[in-house]
Amino acid sequence: MDHLAAAMIAFGLALGGGAIGAAIGDGLAGNATINGVARQPEARGQLQGIMFIIIGLVEGMYFINLAFGALFVFALGRQ
Amino acid sequence: MRFLFQEEQPPVTHPTVDLGCGYWCTINYDSVISSALAMVVTIVAAVLIARSMSSQRPNRVQALAEWAFSYVRSTSNESAPDASSFVVPLAATIGFYILVANYLDFLPITLIPNLHPANTDVNQTLSMAAVVFILLHWYNIRLRGFRGYLAYYTRPHELPVWARAIFVFLNIIEEIVKPVTLSLRLFGNLLAGLLMIYVIGILLPAVIQAPVIAIWKLFDVLFIGLIQAFIFMLLTLVYFGLAREGFEEEHSH
Repeated sequence: MDHLAAAMIAFGLALGGGAIGAAIGDGLAGNATINGVARQPEARGQLQGIMFIIIGLVEGMYFINLAFGALFVFALGRQ
Repeated sequence: MRFLFQEEQPPVTHPTVDLGCGYWCTINYDSVISSALAMVVTIVAAVLIARSMSSQRPNRVQALAEWAFSYVRSTSNESAPDASSFVVPLAATIGFYILVANYLDFLPITLIPNLHPANTDVNQTLSMAAVVFILLHWYNIRLRGFRGYLAYYTRPHELPVWARAIFVFLNIIEEIVKPVTLSLRLFGNLLAGLLMIYVIGILLPAVIQAPVIAIWKLFDVLFIGLIQAFIFMLLTLVYFGLAREGFEEEHSH
């Protein structure tokens, strides 16, 4: 197997695993937000702001995966 | 009808110029040009906002700028009050610069050769994270003294000595991971946006490319760009607050 094919398989695995984690994290953040809004409807605006920050942080991990995947495919796989 | 980005290189490859000393001074000159553009726009916008400020009749832009700046200041005063003098300008400048650099993507700047959204080069985001990292440790040394700074790596202080020796490795890893995640988070988000445009340009038929790219940019640039700029700024503030953590208890008795 040549470098590029191996790198692409690694990219796919990293993206798949990262997507699972990011999706679970987003779900948990949304779940907690819905619970919070159900208990205190007047805190909705504040909670939404916090939720978007958390989602940004959670998906940050996924995009780090993506950056490393792009590194594998475009930089290391070309060698 | 073909679009220009179909002939483009993939966005992760940068044209480089070698200054004659090998790996460490090879410069991605397109990133230099794009970040210079972002800097010029940032400085001009900041000067224009500062010029148009008046205490009698504040306009909308002034209200927005003052709201954002007072948010940064209040967050910094909560977490690290004695560092506010340099953290507030740093965090506000970084946040505003990243926002401008991301929002420049609204213009079709990728169609112009040697221009791309500045934060899609990892060197750019890593250098910003390095500035934060160096200032963070300088602040920590100034706060605790050098011995206190070294002792800071043996947190938590209430454990026996052998357990603290193990925690040294974890604490060092934690400090190294901070700038790495800070830079790669921003880089990955922006790169994903650009890769998506590239993939749309390759895969979709030319007729529906333009609306799909418009929709994607509306989501990616407007939403992700704003949130990532905000998160980078907020994490800068939070890290300075974390560096202070436990300082009051150690020195209160």
